[in-house]
Parts: sequence; structure tokens; C-alpha cells
Amino acid sequence: MTALSVRDLKVHFPAGKGKVVHAVDGVSFDIPEGTAFGLVGESGSGKTTAALACARLVEATAGEVRLGETDITTLAGDAMRRARRDIQVVFQDPYASLNPRERVGAIVRRPLDLMKVGTPAEREARVDELFATVGLRPDQKALFPHQFSGGQRQRIGIARALATHPKLIVCDEPVSALDVAIQAQILNLLARLKAEMGLSYLFISHDLAVVQHLCDRIAVMYLGQIVETGSRREIFTSPMHPYTMALISAVPSPETGLAGVERIRLQGDPPSPIAPPPGCRFAGRCTFATDHCSKVAPVLTATGGNHAVACHRAQDAEVAAARNALVQGAPSG
Amino acid sequence: MSAPLLSVRDLEISFRLGTEETAVVRDLSFDLGEGETLGIVGESGCGKSITALSLLGLVPNPPGRVSAGQILFQGQDLVGASEEQLNRIRGNEISMVFQEPMTSLNPVYTVGEQIAETARVHFGSSRAEAWDRAIEMLKLVGIPSPEQRAHNFPHQLSGGMRQRVMIAIALVCEPKILIADEPTTALDVTVQAQIFDLFRELQDKIGAAIILITHDIGVVAQMTNRVMVMYAGRKIEEGPVAGFIRDPRHPYTRGLISCIPRLSMSPSDMPDPLFEIPGVVPAPRELGAPGCAFAPRCPHAMQRCRVQDPALSRIGEGRAVACWLEEEVAA
Ligand SMILES: Nc1ncnc2c1ncn2[C@@H]1O[C@H](COP(=O)(O)OP(=O)(O)OP(=O)(O)O)[C@@H](O)[C@H]1O
Ligand SMILES: Nc1ncnc2c1ncn2[C@@H]1O[C@H](COP(=O)(O)OP(=O)(O)O)[C@@H](O)[C@H]1O
Ligand code: SF4
Ligand code: SF4
Ligand SMILES: [Mg+2]
Ligand SMILES: [Mg+2]
Repeated sequence: MTALSVRDLKVHFPAGKGKVVHAVDGVSFDIPEGTAFGLVGESGSGKTTAALACARLVEATAGEVRLGETDITTLAGDAMRRARRDIQVVFQDPYASLNPRERVGAIVRRPLDLMKVGTPAEREARVDELFATVGLRPDQKALFPHQFSGGQRQRIGIARALATHPKLIVCDEPVSALDVAIQAQILNLLARLKAEMGLSYLFISHDLAVVQHLCDRIAVMYLGQIVETGSRREIFTSPMHPYTMALISAVPSPETGLAGVERIRLQGDPPSPIAPPPGCRFAGRCTFATDHCSKVAPVLTATGGNHAVACHRAQDAEVAAARNALVQGAPSG
Repeated sequence: MSAPLLSVRDLEISFRLGTEETAVVRDLSFDLGEGETLGIVGESGCGKSITALSLLGLVPNPPGRVSAGQILFQGQDLVGASEEQLNRIRGNEISMVFQEPMTSLNPVYTVGEQIAETARVHFGSSRAEAWDRAIEMLKLVGIPSPEQRAHNFPHQLSGGMRQRVMIAIALVCEPKILIADEPTTALDVTVQAQIFDLFRELQDKIGAAIILITHDIGVVAQMTNRVMVMYAGRKIEEGPVAGFIRDPRHPYTRGLISCIPRLSMSPSDMPDPLFEIPGVVPAPRELGAPGCAFAPRCPHAMQRCRVQDPALSRIGEGRAVACWLEEEVAA
């Protein structure tokens, strides 16, 4: 079963003077039930916008977002409210996303109240259960958000997201604001919830190691589009797109950092999402770009398994050589 | 050996919390040599940022103050230095990239003006020269269309761009010491790599020393020579970077290094759960309790750890650890 299916999603924002920001520009992917789907890519590449459109917290300009059988981009009123039970969001900033004047028990109960789930006593019992699930004590329900640490606040955000038994949780950089020690606690919690409850995640992070740890499938975005997608193994054992390769090579790991491993350097600047270039959007920064690349846009093409890439030269010897150097140069384990 | 560029001796920083004054940084000594990069790691609240601020005379007062110790910069003690002396040093000889870029940029001037002004004051250059230099700096930190962006006000830029503007301001006057407090957390890895190249250029060009505060152990490995680990306001381990990564000695340091997910080029389909350090750092009010501050979270805590605070002891060339386990080994 597919938890979420996205087809040719576009989100364009007005940018004044009749111009538009092509924040998300034709994105398609499927999230099988019980799996985590990771979105990675440069700042401004459209990850958050795509994820918010999936939860219908921004309106799609075009395309479909199917939650199970239903296309939620056209739902209204009660039907949309019911769909909201199934898709919840955990935000990056555990400080800003909780109302400072509300007791945390009430914060977690709120979605149940809004959707009129069960009796008040049943809702309260569910809140206790949720607190225990995310590793908080039910007697902490009466406290306010500022009385918790960052990691605990993120647990509260997760408890709130779990309240309505959703099928899918959108996590937008849920651990980037946390220390490494607390990050490990939250990542383990998310992994445990996925295994125990069969939850699915749409998970955004700029940390490739975090995405690799948690996500079964991964999509790499560049300027509003997916340039490569595949299983965890496919993306890391055989990255096909030059941008994916550059990303992986720029990650400083403890071992490669000490060894001073050569990375693939990107030149130039990312182009503007207001007037994206006609050919490959990465061409201006790609070491392998040819004239053809800057004229004709490559389309996302399956290469076997779950792997797909949008690059004219992904199979060329020159690109393959760089890929082998990257995969063999890095430590394994 | 020549005298270090910066020498911090027995530093203590205190904050007034309610009626009591609590030392949030204690017994902190470290040196920084020319051209060296020192990493400071530890969870939030361990005193990294406030230590960095103290080097610029920027501990918010009240409620805070440097309550003991010396900060010797080229032999001159910055503790108790006049505002005028500090102003001469700040932004010229020691500059800092702050953790929160929005609060440290001036909202009423364009980013180009802010960089140019720093350059003009420092080099005495003309307005036109300073403006050109500002554009060049924006380009160096990887801001697309720098000529146009220079005319933007801070609120018109994305978080990542504001951070890069801060870095441009900190670098434009070629400081002797650059303090960077989690300078790249909002940036993706390709931009981060670009910024670190700039830091290295500054080092090659003028022998600048860098203090880099970060959570990212990979960044520590790539960028630093020496690492200082702070916990609950104290230095609990220090040493050359290779030893820190390959043979961490303090249980807290070991925890920090083990709990990060590592990027693998042959990942398994079912990754094991990450190692966790249970619990959280002590709150300021809990500081100063007897015993090792890490004991409540430490898998090796012994009876002695709960009553007696271990002092920092040397365990080899340039290495020191504050943990009773080291004494057990030595004895
Ligand atoms: N409400 C909005 N109005 C206009 N433009 C917007 C709006 N929201 C986002 N954008 C633009 O859309 C693009 C994608 O932004 P988005 O926030 O989705 O990026 P992201 O990939 O999540 O980046 P980051 O890693 O920095 O969070 C950017 O160019 C951004 O400036
Ligand atoms: N302005 C302030 N007022 C009161 N306490 C402060 C202030 N700034 C920092 N502290 C305290 O000093 C300690 C160290 O903080 P900080 O240096 O910011 O830690 P880090 O940078 O390691 O996260 C913390 O306990 C913090 O609560
Ligand atoms: S299509 Fe051309 S420019 Fe684009 S990524 Fe592939 S090689 Fe580079
Ligand atoms: S002194 Fe004791 S409690 Fe502290 S880190 Fe060492 S073993 Fe653990
Ligand atoms: Mg985002
Ligand atoms: Mg800090």
C-alpha cells in the first residue's frame, strides 16, 4: 500500500511584477506504507514547500497529492478535516511551534479536541499514553513549554503529531535545532515509532547522515525538482547525479575529515527560482556540463530498481569514474 | 616557544540568577597559538558561547560578569580593559561570527553598507573602494548576484544568506583571531565547505587563529588542530584532534562521538539504533553540586564520583582529562 503519492506537484509563489517563484516545479514520488522518505537538497530548493503542500499547509498550484485513495488538493470542509487526522507535521523549531501560554497536556490534546475524537476522559487517557510513548511523564502535562529542554519540546511536538493516529508524519528538519546527544534520542524515538506503529514519514533534513540513518528512500532536490531518487542503498552505493555526488563528497565525516579527503567542489551560484534556466538547472555549476545540457532539460529516468536520475550524462564514463572515486574513497561501515 | 596569541587563565563567568550568583563557567584555562584552530564542543548550555563572548568583553552585564581570571591577548589582559581598548580590538584584531545572525546585523542599513563600513574603518579606504570590497566579500562567501544583494536589508535575505553576510563582516578586516560560533548550522554542506575554504585562506594569508564552536564532529575533524570539550561550564577534556576522534577518553566525549549517525557508502537496510547519552545537561542552578557533574549520566560513575569532583589531569602530550577513571588506570 502507498501512504502518500505525489504526482507532478507544482507550487508557485507570486514574486511581484507578474513574476513567479517556481518553488516546487513538477515533483512526483510515492511513499510506501511503513517507510520513511527523505528529501535532501540545497537551502531554498523547495523541500519545505513540497512538504507543506503534501500536508496542505500551502496550496498546490498544480498536481495531485493522494493520501491513500483521496486526492487532498481538492478536499474542502469536513472531508479535509478528516484527512488531517491522517497527516500531521513536526516542525524544525521546537520553541516556535508550541504555544508558550498553553500547558503541554492541552497542546497535545488539541488535535483530539478539534477533531472531536472520543469523550473528554478518553482524550485525557490518550494524552497520558502519548506522553509515555515519547518518553515523558504524564505528571509533566501541567507544565508550560518553557519548562522543558529543546529535546523534550520536540518530544511534545511528536506526541501532538501522533495524537490522531496519523498514517503519515511530515518532519521538517526535526533534529537540526538539537544537540547531537539529543538528536540521537529523537532519531531513535522516530525509528522506534515507525517500527512499532507502522508509521510513514516524509522527512526533510540537510544532514545526509541523518537521512541515511532514518530513511528507506531518498530524493535529492535541486531548484524545485527531484534530480535523483532511490533506495538508501542505491543513493549511497551508486549516486548517479553530479549534484548528489557533490553533496555526498562535501559531508565532513570524522574519518574523512582527519584524512583530508578531496571533495568535489561546486562552482558558481544556484540559479534563480524566478527565472530557472531552460536546460539542466544544475548546468551552471556542473563539472560535466556540455552545450546540450544547457539547452535541453534532462527528465527523471528510471535506471533499474527504485533508482531514477535526471542527467544526460549519468551513464558516461567520465561521470562513472568520478562516482567510483567517490564511493571507493570514502570509508565504509 | 613564543607566547601564545591568546591565553585564558582560570576564567570564571558568573550570572545572577534570582538572588544568587552562579558560576556558569569555572576554572577555564586554554591557549591559542598563531595559525591554530581550536574546536570547542559540548551540548548547549555548557558554556561555549558565553566563553566566546567573554573574549570580546561582551558578557551581558548585568546579570553576568567575568568573576575571576585573565584573558591575555598578546600579553594584554582584556578582563577589566576599558571600553575604548575593547572597541579597538573587537572587529579589528578579534572578530566573531555569532550563533544568531539576525540579532547581530543592523536592520536599518543594507548589508553592503555594513560590510563596507567595517572595511572603511579598518583599512581607511575610500567609500568607493570599501563598497567594491563589500561586493567582493559577498561573492567570496557565495552569495548569488552580490551587486544586487548588497543593496538588500537583512530581513530581505534568507537565514543562510544572513549567516554568510555575518561571515563576510567578520572576515573583511582580516582579524588575528576569528571566533565562529556554530557558523554553518543553517547552511547545507556544499556552502559550508565553501565557507571553510575561506577560513583556511584567512589562515594561510595572515596566520589567523580560529576558535570554532560546533556540534559537528565531522567539522571538528576537518577543520581543527586541537579540541576542548566542555561540560557544565568546565573543560573536561582537551587534546590534539586525532586523539579526540580516535581515542576519546572522557565518558562524555566518548558519548558525543558515538551518538552521531555516520555517513556510510555501503549502508545496511536496517541501521542499528544510535548510541544515546541518557538524560540532559544540568541546569545552571544545579551547578556547583558536589561530585562530577557528569555522574548522573555516566555509565561508569562510581561512589567517589558522586562526592568528589575530578580535577583536570595530564595524560600525555598536550592531552588532559577530568575523570576519576584515568586515575584508576594510572594507579
Ligand atoms: N511564501 C513564500 N513566498 C514567496 N517565496 C517563497 C515562499 N515560501 C518559500 N518561497 C521560496 O521558495 C523557494 C523554496 O523555499 P523552501 O522554504 O521550500 O526551501 P527549503 O528547501 O525548505 O530550504 P531550507 O533548506 O533553507 O529550509 C525559495 O526560493 C523561497 O525563497
Ligand atoms: N544572558 C544570560 N543570562 C543568564 N544566564 C545566561 C545568559 N547567557 C548564558 N547564560 C547561562 O550560561 C550557561 C552557558 O550558556 P552558553 O554559553 O550560551 O552555552 P552554549 O553556548 O555552550 O550552549 C548556561 O547555563 C546559560 O543558561
Ligand atoms: S545534465 Fe549535464 S549539466 Fe545537468 S547534471 Fe547532468 S551532466 Fe551536469
Ligand atoms: S569522574 Fe566518574 S562520573 Fe565523572 S565521568 Fe569519570 S567515571 Fe563518569
Ligand atoms: Mg526548509
Ligand atoms: Mg551557544
